[in-house]
This record gives sequence, C-alpha cells and structure tokens, in this order.
Amino acid sequence: MTNGWTDIANADVILAMGGNPAENHPVGFRFAMEAKRNRNAKLVVVDPRYQRTAAVSDKFVQIRAGSDIAFLGGLINYALTHNRIQEDYVKLFTNATFLVKEGYSFDEKTGLFSGWDKDKKAYTDKSTWAYDIDPKTNFAKVDETMQDPRCVLQIMKKFYARYTPEMVSSVCGCTPESFEQAAEIITSTYLPNKVGTIMYALGWTHHSFSVQLIHAAAMLQLLLGNVGMPGGGLNALRGHSNIQGGTDCGMAYHNLPGYIAIPKADYAKLPDFLAVVCPKPLRPGVMNFMANYDRFVVSQYKAYYGKSATKDNEFGFNLHPKLPVGAAPGTYQNWSWAYMFDHMYSGQMEGFFSFGMNPVSNGPHSRKAIAALGKLKWLVVAENFETETASFWKPEVQWLNDGKPQDIPTEVFLLPAANFAEKDGSFTNSARWIAWKYKAVDPPGDAKPDQEIIARIFLKVRELYEKEGGKYPDPIQSLNWWYTSPTKPALEEVAKEINGWAITDVMDEKDPKTVALKAGDQLGKFLDARADGSTLSGNWLYIGSYTQAGNLTQRRSGADPSGLGRYSEWAFNWPANRRVMYNRCSADASGKPWDPTRAGIKWNGEKWIGDVPDYKPDSAPEAGMGPFIMNPEGVARLFVPGQFADGPWTEHYEPMESPVQNPLHPEGQNSNPAAKPFKTQWDQLGKSDEYPIVATTYRLTEHFHYWTKNNPYNIQGQPEFFVEIPAELAAEKGIKNTQNVRITSARGSIVGKAMVTKRIKPMTIAGKKVYQIGMPIHWGFFGVGEQKGAIANLVTHSVVDPNSFAPEYKGFLVKLEKA
Amino acid sequence: MAKPAMLKPVKVAPGNVLRYTFIERLVHWAAALSYMYLALSGLAFWTPWMWWAAILLGGGPVTRAVHPWIGLAFTVSVIYMYRIWLTDMRITKTDLEWKKAIRAYVRNEEEEMHPVQAERGFTPYAPVDRFNLGQKYLFWLMFWGGLTLLVTGFVLWFSDYLPGSLRFLRLISVLLHPVAFLITFGGFIIHVYMGTAVVRGGFSSVIRGEVSESWARHHHPLWYNRITGGTAKK
Amino acid sequence: MPGKVLEIRAMSASSTPAPGIRSAPVVAKLIDTSTCIGCKACEVACQEWNDLPAEITVQIGTYQTLPDTTPNLWNLIKFNEHETSDGAFHWLLRKDQCMHCADPGCMKACPAPGAIVQYNNGIVDFEQDNCIGCGYCIAGCPFNVPKMSKQTKKVYKCTLCVDRVSVGLEPACIKACPTNCLTFGSKDVLLLKAQNRVTQLKAAGFADAAIYDPPGVSGTGVVTILAYGDPAAYGLPRNPNISFALELWKGPLKWIGNLAIVGGIIGTFVHYLRFGPKHVPEDGPSKQLPPN
Repeated sequence: MTNGWTDIANADVILAMGGNPAENHPVGFRFAMEAKRNRNAKLVVVDPRYQRTAAVSDKFVQIRAGSDIAFLGGLINYALTHNRIQEDYVKLFTNATFLVKEGYSFDEKTGLFSGWDKDKKAYTDKSTWAYDIDPKTNFAKVDETMQDPRCVLQIMKKFYARYTPEMVSSVCGCTPESFEQAAEIITSTYLPNKVGTIMYALGWTHHSFSVQLIHAAAMLQLLLGNVGMPGGGLNALRGHSNIQGGTDCGMAYHNLPGYIAIPKADYAKLPDFLAVVCPKPLRPGVMNFMANYDRFVVSQYKAYYGKSATKDNEFGFNLHPKLPVGAAPGTYQNWSWAYMFDHMYSGQMEGFFSFGMNPVSNGPHSRKAIAALGKLKWLVVAENFETETASFWKPEVQWLNDGKPQDIPTEVFLLPAANFAEKDGSFTNSARWIAWKYKAVDPPGDAKPDQEIIARIFLKVRELYEKEGGKYPDPIQSLNWWYTSPTKPALEEVAKEINGWAITDVMDEKDPKTVALKAGDQLGKFLDARADGSTLSGNWLYIGSYTQAGNLTQRRSGADPSGLGRYSEWAFNWPANRRVMYNRCSADASGKPWDPTRAGIKWNGEKWIGDVPDYKPDSAPEAGMGPFIMNPEGVARLFVPGQFADGPWTEHYEPMESPVQNPLHPEGQNSNPAAKPFKTQWDQLGKSDEYPIVATTYRLTEHFHYWTKNNPYNIQGQPEFFVEIPAELAAEKGIKNTQNVRITSARGSIVGKAMVTKRIKPMTIAGKKVYQIGMPIHWGFFGVGEQKGAIANLVTHSVVDPNSFAPEYKGFLVKLEKA
Repeated sequence: MAKPAMLKPVKVAPGNVLRYTFIERLVHWAAALSYMYLALSGLAFWTPWMWWAAILLGGGPVTRAVHPWIGLAFTVSVIYMYRIWLTDMRITKTDLEWKKAIRAYVRNEEEEMHPVQAERGFTPYAPVDRFNLGQKYLFWLMFWGGLTLLVTGFVLWFSDYLPGSLRFLRLISVLLHPVAFLITFGGFIIHVYMGTAVVRGGFSSVIRGEVSESWARHHHPLWYNRITGGTAKK
Repeated sequence: MPGKVLEIRAMSASSTPAPGIRSAPVVAKLIDTSTCIGCKACEVACQEWNDLPAEITVQIGTYQTLPDTTPNLWNLIKFNEHETSDGAFHWLLRKDQCMHCADPGCMKACPAPGAIVQYNNGIVDFEQDNCIGCGYCIAGCPFNVPKMSKQTKKVYKCTLCVDRVSVGLEPACIKACPTNCLTFGSKDVLLLKAQNRVTQLKAAGFADAAIYDPPGVSGTGVVTILAYGDPAAYGLPRNPNISFALELWKGPLKWIGNLAIVGGIIGTFVHYLRFGPKHVPEDGPSKQLPPN
C-alpha cells in the first residue's frame, strides 16, 4: 500500500479491481464503507464475478479474468482523450516530460517493443527502453511543454490510443457503455480536490503479466493525480496477516531484507554490489535516497555476521549467499517459487523446509508439486496441522499421480509449530504498520514457535560443522547468534536487531567531534546507519521501529489530530513512521495542498508539516527536489526504463491459456513475450478448442487458506468445494445447482458441487461467446468436513510473471462436465 | 345384515338387558379418559388460569409431550367407535321426528307428551332406537371434532418441521384446534351431565353394560323391541 | 443499563401484569444492508459468545450458510440473487435474525407462563427453562424466527445478547461486524441515523431506499435499512403483523371460549336445579308405543 487502510476512508472514488476486499479483507474494507457513509464515495468494482464487494458497489463491471490491462489501458486512454488528467501534477511529479531514447519503438502489429530478437524469441536488448540522456550532464532530457513527440506523455498518448471503449469491450467482454460509465466515475478524480484510490490484491498479481498490470494502475493514478494524496494511492491488499512483513524482511529470493537486490555471484567485491544498489542521479537536485544504500547493506551484514564482519573482509560480503549465475551469459538463476519446484523436480534439491506453507495446495499445479516433493531426500514441515504437503506421500494424495507411498524416498519430518496466537512478535500489515502482538495462549503439546525450531536446527547444524568441518563452514560459524537464549531467541531481541543499534560510538556526520549515538544505542532514523561498520541493522526499512524510546510497534494511541485517520502514534509505520508514501505529491509546486481538506503535508515557509514528509523536511518547494526520493530521476515513472522484463509500457497480453487471439494484435504476439513455460512433462498448456472455458481461482471470507479447514466454524460457513457456474452455461450443459461437476484442464481435474449463479454472465470476447467459471481454493485432503481432495490448484499451471515470478492462478482454460 | 355383536347372547341379571358389550365399554372409556386428559392439558395451554393443570399432569414440558400421544389414543378410540357404532349412529327420520320434541325432552316433559295428550297440541314424542339424536349428535361432533383436532394437532405437533412458507397452516391450526376443542367440550359437558345426573342408569350402563328392561323400554323402545325380538311387554 | 438487572415488561401466558415497573430506553440494532458484505462474522461471533456448536452443513448452491436459522445459528446472512424487472442484478445480503418486535407475535402465542419475556428495554427473550416446546411461537412469529431443538424440544433464537446488553456491552454481532453495517444503541437515536442514511442513499441513486421498522408489529428492535427498498427482495415479509388468526385466537375466541366453558358448566348445574333427573317408570307398561 502506498497509503493505508485507515486512509481509504478519505477517498471519493474507490476502484476495487483485481481484488475482492469485502471478501478477503473484510476488516480493512470497513474504511471503504466509511468513505461511502461519510463522504458519499463511489465504489466501482471490476471483476470476473459479481462478488461480495460488488454487492455493496455503486457500479459493477464484469470482465474476463486476465483482461485487466485492457480495461486499465482503456481508462488511461479515456483520461488522456477526455482531458481528464491532472496536468500540473503530471508535469511536476511524473516523468511525462522526459524524452525517451532514440531507437525505442513499439510495433502495434506484432505487439512487441524494440529489442526483440525474433529468432531467440526474447528481448535481448533493452537498451532502447531508456531516457534520452544528455551526455554532457548525464541527466535525462526533458521537455517541459510535453509536446515533443518523443516525450513520455506523447508516446503514452499514442500507445494507449488503441485502447478504445470498443477494444476494451472486445478484450474484456463488458459493453463499451458499461466501461464508459465506470471510466466516467473513476477518472472524475482528475480534479485536484477529488481523490480516488485503488484496492487490488491477488486478482492482479496472479497473472503472467502481473507487474505490468500494476504498472498500468500506477500510471492511471499518476495521471489522475491520486498518488501521494490522502485517500488516494495504489493499495495492494496483502493476503496474510504478516505477508508484508515477510516481503519486507527478504522473503523473496531476489531481495535481501529491505528490498535490497540480492548480490550476484559474479560481483567480485563489495563496491561492485554497491554500485548496483546505489544509483547515480538522473536529474539535477534530486534526493536519490538510494545513494545511501551502502549504509544499509553494510549495517545488514553487520547484523548477520557481527564481529566477523570487518572492514578487511568487506563486512562479510563473501560470507553472505549470492545468486548463482545462470546458464546463459548475463543471466542469473531463478529460485522463486515455481522455479524452485521445477528445480526440485529436476533433482537439483536435496531438502526442503516448509514453514507455514503448504506447497501442494497453495502452489500452482499441485500434481507437479507432489511429483517434485517425491524427488527430495528430506522434507521438513513445521505446521499447526497435518497438511497435504506433510502427507504428500500418503496413498490418497499419491493417487493423483498414480504414485505409491513405498516408491517415495523422501523422509518427511512434521514438526508441530505454534500458531500466530501462540507466540509474540509483530505483524506488518498491508499499510506497512508494524504492530507488536502478544501471546494469547501457550502452544499445545510439543508445538514450538518457529524461531525456536529454526534456532535448534541452526545450533545443531553449527555443532555438526564444528565437529565434522565442511566445504565452507564460515557463514554458519560466523553468524551473529547473540541472543540471550540461543535455543529460544526472544522476538523482542530480534525486533531490536532488525531496527539496529550503534556498535561503537557513532559520530555526527556534520560535526565529527560530537557523538550522535553512543555505543549500544538503538538507531533512531535511517541516516543513523553507517557504512563503516559502526552500526548494525537487520532491515533498514524498519529503522525507527525500536529506538531508544523503546519498542514503538507496541504503541496503541488512537489519537488522530489530523482527522484523516493517520493515527501517527499507533504502532510504527515504515518508512520513518510515514503514513502516506510520496506525500510530497499532495501539495502543489508552491507547497500548498491540492485539497486543503485533505492535506498530506504542506510547506509552512520553513519546513514541511503534517504527515512525516516523504521528502527532505526542510527543502523548500522552490528548490524543486523531486517528490519520488527513491528514484534517481526524482519523479514517478509512467514510462519505465529498463526495469521490467516485458517492456517499458504496459501492453495487454492474453493469459498463457486464452480463449481468443489477442484482439490488439491478432496477427502478432498473443501472450506475454517474456513469460516462459517450464518444460517438464507436467507443464502442459491447453488450447481453447479443447478447453473453452475461462476459469479463475479465489479465496473466501469463510476460510483462511488451507488452514481453517480444520476449524468447525469455518467449515460451517463454507463446507464444501464448489464451482461457480453462469446460469446460461449450466443450462447449456444440463447442470443443476449442487450437482457434482468435473473441471478438467491440461494439468488435471477436480470435482466439485455446482453453484449455478446469475452472478457470472456469459461474455462476448473478440466476437466469440465465452463463459467463465470460478472456484475457491481452501479444500484438500486433510481437515474437518468434506475434503474430497478438492485442491483447486490441481488445474492451474505454473507459468509465472517474468518480473515478480507470481504464477498465473487466474484466467486459465478448462472444460466442464457433469461428474 | 350381519348380526350386531351386541346381540350375541350374554348373561345378564334377570330383568336387565345388555346395553354395551365389554369392548364398547372399553372403547367408550378409552375415549372418555383420553378426552378428559386432553381437555385438561389443553385447557392448561388455553389459559394461564388453568396452568395448574399442566403442573398437576407433570409440568409443562411433560404435558406438552404427552398431549399429542394421548390425542392419538383418543383418535384411535373414536375411529373404533365409528366402526362399531356407525349403523347405530345414522340419523333417521324418526330422529328428526324426535327432534321436534327436543324442548320437552330438555325440560323432562316427555311424560306429558304421551300420545293421549297429542291432541292437546304436543308433538308426538317419536320413539328412540339404540341412541337418541342427542347421543348421535355427540358422536358425530366428537367424530368430526376429533378429526379436526387430529389434523390441526399434527400441524402443531410438528410445526418445527413445517417450512416458513406454510405458516398459514400453523395459523389455521392454532385457530381451529381450540375452536374444535371448544365445540367438543360443549358436547362433552352435556354428555357427562346427561349421562350421570339426568339419565340415571346411563353411567352404570357404560360401566357394567346392563340396563333394566324398563329403562331400556323407556329410553330406547325401538332398540328394546329389536333386541328382545318383540317379546317386550306392550 | 449497566449495574441494573433488566426488568420484565411483559411475559407470555400471564394473567397478571409483569413485574417491571421502571421504564428504560428502548434499544435497537440497526442493520444497514447497503454496507453489509455478508462476511458472516456476526454468525460466528453469535455462536462463540453464546457457546453454540457449529452446525454440520453442506454446500447448498449458494454462499448462504444454511437455508434458515437453527437452534444453534441464531443469525444468518441471507444471500438473495435478485433481478429487477429492468434487468438490473443485485446480490442482496441481509442479516436474518429475531426482529425483537415491540408487539411480539411469539409472546402472544406462547401458552407457557414466562417462557417468552420482553424486557423493559424492548429485548424479547426466550426462557428455555419455562419453555414447554409447543411451537406456538413458531406460528406466532411473522418472521419465522424461533427454531426448535430436536434435542431439547425447546425453542431458541437471538437474545439480542441480553446478557451483554444488561451490563452495558453491545451484542456480540455488533462487536464483530467489520464494516459497521451493524450498530447498536437507543432506538430513537438509531432511527434518526437510519433516516439520514436513507436520505443519503436516495441522493446516491438508491431511489427506493427505505427503513424497515414494520408497524404491523409496532416496530422492531432490529431496524433494517433496505437499499433497494422492497422487503420481499430481501426475503422479508412486506407487511408483517400479528396474524388475524392469532388476534382472533388470543382475543375474542379466548373470551368466548372461556365464557362458553364456564357458562356450560353453570348451565348444566342450573338445568339440574330446575329440571332434575329423568324418571323411569318401574315395570309399568311403556307409555310409548312403538309404531312398528
């Protein structure tokens, strides 16, 4: 979330798309309802199904699963052609004025950007996806009039001109009128005193083009002047109570904690790494905060390796794991989820720890996951309940792959783990609020908190290394295991370490004679961290969460002097307790709020007041420091130079399995050119002649993943796996409500009860009648009630987005028959 | 016509005739006692003034639980009565004749209705067979009333199984059940009063089954003639 | 009313006035269907507070937990797929539960003294200790709320968390509701709030928005804002009332019946006093001659 849950109550228009917040985020959704009640806000829902959020919407548009980019592209085009963009904002705060490098092009016929290698079927040269850099200054060239045909705004206008209401209708399956009605409401927020927000979730991230999809939404919000405004922004609703915390702390394979890109194996020295993570400014006067990343990298290494991280060994640069290089030159290995299971299947992995995860059920393509787990030597599962993963070897699960338990060599350890209420620690919510939680009850039986399980395994492994030696024991031996109770590290201590402290006295940077922080003091702000090894910090983003003032994540003050639901003394909000990110954009060039009733920050002549400014606090507006301090160009990116695998602009590509040829380029590229299917026998993709129905998966309010199938109250609410089927399709197939139906994809099949509904309507896509059906996840083999082995992911495929590597759980092809 | 069971030779005391067989007496009392239970328990549900009856009968829940089962017993006895008394209970032309003098009958003035006095303006008092019209009315009242009570009682018994859409059935039942009861209860009061206080010998007849010949001749001459095969004194 | 046990204003099958002498502000629950997302938090909160076990359910082709409330599930979100004549489609979600009528049909129909009580704050509660399981309340309720347990043969329904309310807490469902579509408080205040919300909804394009506080039962302690107006679309009776049959039964019929019973008994007695028994002439020849 750029903004926060409580801030949604400040919106005038709420677009819920690529998510079903009422269903999956009912508690946070209260703020959407508050906006409706208190501000007469309009709620627009765009989704494949008329669902719980749609039930309380002002406008609902049904679209085909996987057609979101076309819809958003249509909105961008609508805003641009109807002159419904906040021009001053766009000029000031985005790269609309920037000139794009000569050589950049997009072929509307093929649907491909410059740099495409026809033979290799890949973008081999992304150098043209860049700004036009002035060689004298090394800064990007701009055209303040935004009239230059090579400036970002003009290129953008031309690019999205193809996304007419009729094209949107042809791709998405809604009527042009319905689209325009929605567009009218959504783009009404282009006025400086109107603010719109977007709530999205896995409906956008579960696609083979998910990052570009969110890019499109960001562009729309920037054009409408909604980013940085209270009540605006682009708000990703995280699905689990601490998934944000997990991502912040380096859960993804390609990031270190704090979203520092992981060092690659071919970086010889620390400076090579720092050169990559600390970019050079692209415009004069920008803050380019990432130039400070050296402090955070070194402090993080110090946190990992303590005394073993010295200036001489480059603070442990070579103790820390690096991403191995890939087979092709210039590439690196991919160890994201789907790739990891592919590697597992091809025998590249010996063992696997599965903590709080149930890959057989929650990963894509369950049968492939089951086959892959069977190639492991050992599998450790730490869980509250018996899961499909822990018991993947059992006959009822193996039956899916015609396997037998006796043929599975994998040794499985199921360790009972404490659940969230049985241990303390913190949750970081979607709004980036880090809130401490307290243990409610003791874990039952032998169940232990995760940190204790991990600590005990670590200590044992270290002991073995000590006794037996090994290939490279240094990282394990050097790890800074300083906790008072080594087998049971207190999470309070871990929280302290994540924030970090001064190891030795830290001198003031402006006045090197005064001590800024005494040795042992907790860091208070980002720039307290030092690149000389005098500080340690587990995750720079969390600096400020546990200061000398104590554990600020435990704060529970409901005070809200802003009246905007900022609650600045409730828990701690990374970064720097800033409640709305990019809040410099809430004020105009002179520092006056666009909307005085919704002031994010404002310039009082000396400094910025209001929310914690996402800006240099004392930099006058006239100085023109860009509001996007993390970007070397200082402004937001409409055109994204270089960063993405699949293009600098968001183009609609069909899902990997699609019922039609891409209506935007019927002769050209159909699906995302950068998305590549895996090559095992399991990785089959279906064609629309055999599998004509679009299917999508989703979650239900009544359940939490594959966990609550063990709880009678949840089971009561949704007892059985079901498939939502449009009434017309059901009539065509002679399927009656609650009858069993079988869904089959190229990967597998699953039986469930039909829920015949009017909430999904048939669509006309590119002139062809297309039905779509939906099914919830949440069922499997083990649990209370009727399970019947109904894992929705038996039919999904494992092609992933080339940027985020999220699998395409939504918008794939199946066939449907009576079971 | 099959020989009615009651005409089977049964030993009776001299000067007496058999009015009710053992089975008839049994059925009568099954109906009577079950009805009395139903009335008492029903009255407890009818008005809080009678709630003491529910307490007397074992408390509210017990009374509620037992009432429908006794209702079934009552129904069975009524149906059995129907089987054995149907022929006797058919309303005949003579009954309608008799009805003309009902006022006199109620006022115990049948003595004055001797045919000798007929010319004085009194309607002739038509002779009575085994049951007089009042008894027949009671029978049919209990029969149809019982049937109504049964049907509505079933609805009330199983009202929690009835879907909400059929609520009108419940409403009809809560109304008709007490209405049917009230009507039968009126008949019941009169019946008990007549059988015990007014027509002496009636009560003992359903206990012992016998009545004196003169009683039979007096109250049910046609019947008396029929069972004695014309040997009755003229 | 914290610190003070609620008093009983009225009770079932009572020939005498109920003991409650103090008046209290009438409480109510306001359900705003326009912000109900059907999350069922209220369903579970109700069960957890009231210690009711989970029902064994099956998928019935809808998102609804069960077709109807049960002795163990006192509030149920109803999911109505509703198509209007002009083709517009709405998924109408509404919390179904005891409406706590000001004039409760259940209490009127109940024959068991004290099995149904109405507190002076308007809460209608079932006292299972006094319930005889006759099911008359099921007939009496215009909303089909009371549900009989097969196990205990007693009826159960929402108590409006009278145990919580009597110590100054809000009902469990209100506490759990994530969107604040449920609010609790004095009925007067909530009605004002409801009117404001209806005005707001009308301005926002919900032309038929209305408050459901049916006069046929003298108003309800559960007031519902119907965004699309028509109660029937939400599965509510358009004009619920104490049924005519019930009025007849507990009104005129009761008095006529009582009079008839008492009158009948007195009548027979008087008859006996006046006319006495019939006499059978001993052994004399019958004065009646069979016509043969």
